[in-house]
Amino acid sequence: MKLYLAKNENVTSPAVVLDDMILTSDLPTTGGSMMLDNYMSLFGADIIEKLTKAGYAIAGKANVGEFGIDLVGETSYYGAVTDDKGNLSSASAELVKSGDVLAAIGLDVNGAGRRAAAMNGLVYVKPTYGTVSRYGTIPAACSGETVSVSAKTVSDCKAVLASIVGHDDKDGTSLPEEKCELVKTSAASLKKVAVIKSLTKDIDADTAAKLDAVKASLTAAGVTVEEIDCDVLAYAKTAWGILMCAELCNNVSRYDGVKYGHRSENYKTIGELYTNSRTEAFGELTKTAILYGSETLSDDNYMPVYDKSLRIRRVIIEAFASLHAEYDAVIIPASSKAAYTEADINANKYISFDEALYTAPASISGLPSVVAGGVQLIGKAFSENTLFEAAKIIEEGK
Amino acid sequence: MRYETVIGLEVHVELATESKIFCSCSAKFGGEQNDHVCPACCGMPGMLPVVNKHVVDLGMTAGMMLNCDINRTTTFDKKSYYYPDLPCSYQTTQWFAPVAVNGLVDIETSKGKKSIRIKQIHMEEDAGKLVHDDWTDTSLVDFNRTSVPLIEIVSQPDLSSAEEVIAYLERLRSLLRFAKVSDCRMEQGSMRCDVNLSVRPEGSDKLGVRTEMKNMNSLTAITRAIEYEVARHIDAIENGTEELVQETRRWDDVKGKSYAMRNKETAGDYRYFPDPNIMPVVIDDAWYNGIKASLPEFPEIKRARYIDELGLTEYDADLLTASRAFCDCFEAAYEVCGSAKEVANWLISDCMNILNRKQMTVDELKLDGKTLGELIKLCMDGKVNRGNAKKILMEMFDSETPIDPAAYAEANGFIVSNDTGKMDEVIKAAVAADPKAVADFKGGKEKALLAIFGKCMKELKGNCDPQKLREALLKHIDSL
Amino acid sequence: MLITDKESFKRLQKLNQLALTEKEETDVLAFFTARNEDITALGAVDTENVERMVHVMPMETVVREDKEIKLFTRDELQKSAPESYEGYWQVPRLVE
Repeated sequence: MKLYLAKNENVTSPAVVLDDMILTSDLPTTGGSMMLDNYMSLFGADIIEKLTKAGYAIAGKANVGEFGIDLVGETSYYGAVTDDKGNLSSASAELVKSGDVLAAIGLDVNGAGRRAAAMNGLVYVKPTYGTVSRYGTIPAACSGETVSVSAKTVSDCKAVLASIVGHDDKDGTSLPEEKCELVKTSAASLKKVAVIKSLTKDIDADTAAKLDAVKASLTAAGVTVEEIDCDVLAYAKTAWGILMCAELCNNVSRYDGVKYGHRSENYKTIGELYTNSRTEAFGELTKTAILYGSETLSDDNYMPVYDKSLRIRRVIIEAFASLHAEYDAVIIPASSKAAYTEADINANKYISFDEALYTAPASISGLPSVVAGGVQLIGKAFSENTLFEAAKIIEEGK
Repeated sequence: MRYETVIGLEVHVELATESKIFCSCSAKFGGEQNDHVCPACCGMPGMLPVVNKHVVDLGMTAGMMLNCDINRTTTFDKKSYYYPDLPCSYQTTQWFAPVAVNGLVDIETSKGKKSIRIKQIHMEEDAGKLVHDDWTDTSLVDFNRTSVPLIEIVSQPDLSSAEEVIAYLERLRSLLRFAKVSDCRMEQGSMRCDVNLSVRPEGSDKLGVRTEMKNMNSLTAITRAIEYEVARHIDAIENGTEELVQETRRWDDVKGKSYAMRNKETAGDYRYFPDPNIMPVVIDDAWYNGIKASLPEFPEIKRARYIDELGLTEYDADLLTASRAFCDCFEAAYEVCGSAKEVANWLISDCMNILNRKQMTVDELKLDGKTLGELIKLCMDGKVNRGNAKKILMEMFDSETPIDPAAYAEANGFIVSNDTGKMDEVIKAAVAADPKAVADFKGGKEKALLAIFGKCMKELKGNCDPQKLREALLKHIDSL
Repeated sequence: MLITDKESFKRLQKLNQLALTEKEETDVLAFFTARNEDITALGAVDTENVERMVHVMPMETVVREDKEIKLFTRDELQKSAPESYEGYWQVPRLVE
């Protein structure tokens, strides 16, 4: 089982590991794909400079699901990662859990990191979209993907996030510095939170127990916890699936065997070079996502499917806005089951699409999401400090 | 039966920027293969597009020059297809909200004046180039041109003949060159044109089968291609020689034929969608007004002004307004020296000659107008004679550093002397040295004086008013 | 609605330069059928008067000045090229 896909020697402490979606100029970057096996980027991500400046060493590159689109950690070309009980985990979560590194930096595309953090009891933050530079990350679903941090403790997670937040001229979606600063400086305000009832009805007992514990900790700390309905959030799954796959289809179309990456040995024409290289090098989930995404952008489907999803994104963001007008955080599980095994995938190989029911609301909206105590807390933009405060209460309540 | 031809044009124009549209690589024409390339424009993952402001400046400028409405919020979209000259397998272009829409271009042909409607102008990135190599029997990919900024000017199908198409293209070229949007050089591919053409019986309101032709790189080729294609369509309609299908065809100018293209963009299905990595470009009032204020006068308005207000001949005005560089130089020089006629003469005869000798085009004139005006003024004021002024002009073309004409004339002894004592001395000496010429002159041979005059001029290094020298010389001989 | 017939599905693969095995085809077509149910379900969300939202953060683009910067040499860029020839990337010959 491969946790590190590449490793630096003589790493000093404190060290962080980078998911292999983050480009490095001194270690190969694969995106978990055979397509980029041994690929050396000429440049590294903007955040590497920021991490180094803050005194963090880079331990190496963590195995990831291909292009970060899976959810339960099953699609890496370099093999799935399991924990000591045989449950599907993620490489970065295992490395953080074992204490090998202080924190892990990932690219949150579909929420795989959130799911793994919830399963392993880690603290995780997907900050507000646009507050951490995506320059030097392998693009998958750019309209929602966000650089994320996971650690064992709230304070480590918060500190590492603080070191990478900031404007970057090289990323056209990077927010102005004064907006980015809000992630670090905005005052926490935690009085009332809401649990979305409709998203708790299909969860397993372990997940339900985690949710109850979180509710109890928050209530004990004087936070009002209410249960409410917000049905529209359930549509985020399909809408985000469509946006993510269409963007992925487009982003991975650059991998064609011409400039770099895998080139099939079996071709005579340019068409064969393209098709054989791509067919050989992409995993099944990626192929499915490419075809699905492409189809949603066809002349017939663009308006009723793709454009519809872009509108639903607004509906969801507006739904969150009205929730956040009353509640400081919205709580939803990170997955329906506390843990998954190979058997679950064999039973349903599109589990990543179904389980996105829980992760897609934060992905499609770009809102900050913190995982603590095995559940997700979603806040309004720039309210990371409020979410961390809740996480702290949950951490102390354990 | 009589037929009419319906033509719409898609004109691609490479913008005159220093760097590419979304990355900072050089956008210059040529260069060694793959020398103007970075990870972004060879399709490597991780770099993000950041829009070059000057591209939007020029997109807006083109829109305004062609009487378009400017979309004050303009966005970029992705268009997907596989081809080796397209490194990301998508082209970033404008599909939903192009920079300019609904324009109008006036043209004039032998049949009179006509207005051609512009549907839209959108900004986009160019593709790379393929070289088909016989030696290795492979295709070789050069990404230098990838992501060089383009605008595509899409006309409505308002054109009906090759003559109109040429008039339209020449008009576009003139306006865009004047506004410094592009150098519009068809031979270098900085102006390219796709012709959408169909033929129908005259008076019919139903459009015929439309074909698109690519790969014409001169106005002559375009004319030939249109004439060929019209004949092919009519032949097919009348004689059933072939079945016309909607397709993209490639013009082969050597063979004088068009061929159906077998691959690339013939399939369609580009799956356009908004680019998540490029935020909307919002053109605020200051930006919009700044561009508006920077627009040049249209060439024909300049021409009329040069004739009516500055008194130039039609011939001179035509020559000057053929090039923005000449107009700019002319106007700046006129401002300094105050004589339009003098400046026109200097530009049209002297400067044009120098450019010809250097094998440069009129657009390559780099002469600073203000400096030229100062030089002309020195000459008009009699401070430097014309021969020396020409030497200074030559130096202004050759020198890498700016030349101050007055200082240069001073340093090289070109200033016309007002020292009459020196002139008298020179005259006395010259007359004394050539008594025969003096005698001949007095004997009625007017020409005999020329030798002495020339000698004096040489002695004075030309720095005297010839008229004064002549008068002083005659006076001296009379006094003998 | 997503296509669910084999012929269209072949075209879709070709468009994306992929060639699936028969087993994969069957699976992905089943996946498409399932997604069609999800897509139909989206109809319950009224988006009639809702503007599409491409970017989650309301922001204008920040343009850059038109300045040339050279980042890497051709040799560096072609270090990972599967095939190159005299400074070009190399592919099978194309017929235009």
